[in-house]
Amino acid sequence: MSLHRSVQRFLDLPLRMKFVWSFLVVILFGGLVSLFFGTRLEHKTIIGLAQAKVRHDLASAWMVYNEKLNDIRDIVLLNAGRDSVRAALLAGDRESLFRALVRVRRDFNLDILTITDRFGRVVQRTNPSGIFGDDQSADPLVSRALSKETVTATEIIPRPELLKEAPEFAERAYLKFIPTPMAAPRPEDHEENGMMLKGAAPVLDEQGKVLGVLYGGILLNQNYEIVDRVKEIVFKGEKYKGKEIGTVTIFQNDLRVSTNVTDAEGNRAIGTRVSQEVHDAVLRRGIPWVDRAFVVNHWYITAYEPIKNSGGEIIGMLYVGMLEKPYIDLRNSVMLTFTGIAALCTIILLIILFFITSSITNPLRRMVQATKRIAQGDLNHQVKIGFRDEIGQLADSFNQMTENLKLANENLLQWGKTLEKRVEERTKELRGMQDYLLQSEKLRSLGKMAAGVAHEINNPLTSILINTHLMLEKLEKRHEFYENLSLIADETSRCTEIVKGLLEFARQNPPQKTYTNINDIIERTTQLLENQASFQNVRIVKDLDPGLPAIKLDKNKIQQVFWNLLLNACEAMPKGGQLTISDSLSADKKWIVVRVADSGVGIPKENVNRLFDPFFTTKSSGTGLGLAVSYGIMQQHEGKIEINSEVGRGTVFILSFPVEDQREDSAKKGGTYE
Amino acid sequence: MNSQSKRRILVVDDEITVSKSIRQAILSDQYEVDMALSGEEALKKEAETSYDLIITDLMMPGISGLDLLKTLRAARPEVNVIMITGYPTIKTAVESVKLGAFDYLPKPFTPADLRGLVARAFKSVQAEDRDKGGVAGSRIPAGYYYMLGHTWLKVEEKERATVGVVPDFLKTVGIITQLELPKVNEAIMQGNVCGKITDADHFVHRIWSPASGRVIEVNTRLVSDFSLLRRDPFLSGFLFRIETGNLEEDLKGLLLAK
Repeated sequence: MSLHRSVQRFLDLPLRMKFVWSFLVVILFGGLVSLFFGTRLEHKTIIGLAQAKVRHDLASAWMVYNEKLNDIRDIVLLNAGRDSVRAALLAGDRESLFRALVRVRRDFNLDILTITDRFGRVVQRTNPSGIFGDDQSADPLVSRALSKETVTATEIIPRPELLKEAPEFAERAYLKFIPTPMAAPRPEDHEENGMMLKGAAPVLDEQGKVLGVLYGGILLNQNYEIVDRVKEIVFKGEKYKGKEIGTVTIFQNDLRVSTNVTDAEGNRAIGTRVSQEVHDAVLRRGIPWVDRAFVVNHWYITAYEPIKNSGGEIIGMLYVGMLEKPYIDLRNSVMLTFTGIAALCTIILLIILFFITSSITNPLRRMVQATKRIAQGDLNHQVKIGFRDEIGQLADSFNQMTENLKLANENLLQWGKTLEKRVEERTKELRGMQDYLLQSEKLRSLGKMAAGVAHEINNPLTSILINTHLMLEKLEKRHEFYENLSLIADETSRCTEIVKGLLEFARQNPPQKTYTNINDIIERTTQLLENQASFQNVRIVKDLDPGLPAIKLDKNKIQQVFWNLLLNACEAMPKGGQLTISDSLSADKKWIVVRVADSGVGIPKENVNRLFDPFFTTKSSGTGLGLAVSYGIMQQHEGKIEINSEVGRGTVFILSFPVEDQREDSAKKGGTYE
Repeated sequence: MNSQSKRRILVVDDEITVSKSIRQAILSDQYEVDMALSGEEALKKEAETSYDLIITDLMMPGISGLDLLKTLRAARPEVNVIMITGYPTIKTAVESVKLGAFDYLPKPFTPADLRGLVARAFKSVQAEDRDKGGVAGSRIPAGYYYMLGHTWLKVEEKERATVGVVPDFLKTVGIITQLELPKVNEAIMQGNVCGKITDADHFVHRIWSPASGRVIEVNTRLVSDFSLLRRDPFLSGFLFRIETGNLEEDLKGLLLAK
């Protein structure tokens, strides 16, 4: 599996598991590393201490060993100097020598005590064999004593020499090798020579001449005095689980000849041999060995040092060993304690972790549930967290958000309702706009048609007009057709006027807009109206807002509109009345609204809708184009024109001119204000 | 009066009844009137007989009135042309004047209207003959805009302008007996009637407005003293002052005196 997928799988775990796993990994890793290094350190310390102690113990063993050698030296030295011994040697009184020396051998627990003459020939042995006369001058110690030296050393004693003293010694020395797994191979299968602590001192006459040599010794083979003494002094007989903690061994070459190491049956393990490793290091190379070693059947912390004879040859080893088990057990118990503490800490940590993650994940879970409920539309749900940490704050924000969402939702609903209303309003407006467009389209096509008709009609009218006039010129005024012809001429002229109006209506001149105050136009128009003699009984009331903004208008066209409206209003009041013109800014400041109200006869409902249609007129002399033209002009100004009328009470024309857009428009073009 | 001394007039209109009516309206012992029913026919007849005056409809299939005018002005600049316009595209009418038409007349009209115009056209020819000696004061001052043979327009500051009659127009008018001027506040349109002059011969001469706008001042001195028109045509003899409505567009239809 790829690393990426493993990471992905980890990331997909629940939050708590992520925490647990992360902590566990850290703890385990840290624990293992510290355990590893701790163990190593501890091992080093404990084993190091043990090794130091073993070295020290070995030194103690040497002390005991050398003490024994010194004892022998003292014995031979003292007895060689005894007068009785000297006299008996001089006299050759073997009986006296035996008596004097045998007690010494017994008292001081020596195995041999033998005296030679000045040539090194044995005069008397203290053992019962009774053999004498053999030459011992080749013995290294004896030969040195003959030259007046007192010497001690550990020496290998060959079997014939042992037999000369006593067959018992040869028996003690004879050891069959017990097969030992890691021992170095040897051609022999037994040992027959002995190893002995030996000392020799010269016997001198009064002139200092050598009379002979006294030598004595202790056979080490199967003599456990030294090893047991060392054990007693150094280890004080301490035991660990029934086993001796300390062991001491004297090796003859690589063979255990004196030891308190026991085999499986509890017997002293003599006859077994040392391992090849130790053999090579200590016996071959003469290097002391301090390390753990498998001795007979247990691991020991051991120290080996070579034993040399008087010639400096390595002939054996002295060994001290401590059972490793107590240290290993100590180490293990320390390790166990450490591990136990670590495990305890981990458990405590996991428990804490459980609570911490709970305090994180529980609120989160609650929040997840809350979001689900909100998603389902329940906006009243609130998350309750008892504390004020980041999650608590998150929950507060979340609640705030929910609250806002709720408000927004309510607003949205409200807006929805408002929107519906607005759509309704706008639909109404659009319908109005549609009517307006329909009306303007009607006007446009009618305009086109009117222009065409006017053009076509002009030619026949020209002919009629010219010919009628020509006839009138020819006729006398009394002629019976003169009046008829005059009528024709007048009516033709009226047709001309109608055609003119039609063309006026049809003309689609773009308006020439300049910034104008609408009040000026109204003032000017009413002034013109006041000059008209026929409307003297109409009272004109003006209510104009002086604060109106200037807007872009075609003055002439708008004046024409007002003129048409005012004229219509006056004509609606044949018996006089009141004409009110007022203007003001709409509430939203987007429109200037002008109202032209009369107190005239009013317009029947069925006529109101047709009012702006071209040629619709209620007047006998009208062309029916005035309002249609006005409507067209208002359209060119993006304005509106509305009618409120009630029969018998009067009519109100309401004109609306847009304000804002034009102003922006002018700002772009850098238009000027008047 | 023999045919030699009679003025020869050609009436051009694609509608025969109109042509006939016009012919009858102006036919007299002074004028000999021919008719053509198309621009092509008119050019053919003009090539055969040199006419003194041509009255042509503006809107005709084939060679239009305006084309006819251009061709005639190029070939015989001395002949006067009166444009008759059925569908009063005033712009076209004003343009025709700029191109050298003597005047124009919107349909429908009475015989009197036409006769007055014709009489004025011939008077202008006599006046030109007289002018060959050179008469001072008839020159239009530099910076004045004018409709050839009709009115001038002096643009002043801030969309205001003065309107007057050029001397050439007055040369075609007899002794002035009556002057009709617009009222203050009245709206006027370029190419439309803005005043009328009646002379001793009872001819009514229409004055075409050189620009659109609203009258803001009328020359009251002129109403009591018509002689100012001829004595000081460009200053105190002005007709009225206007607030212009569409000056930029209007100036395109006018000539500028240099």
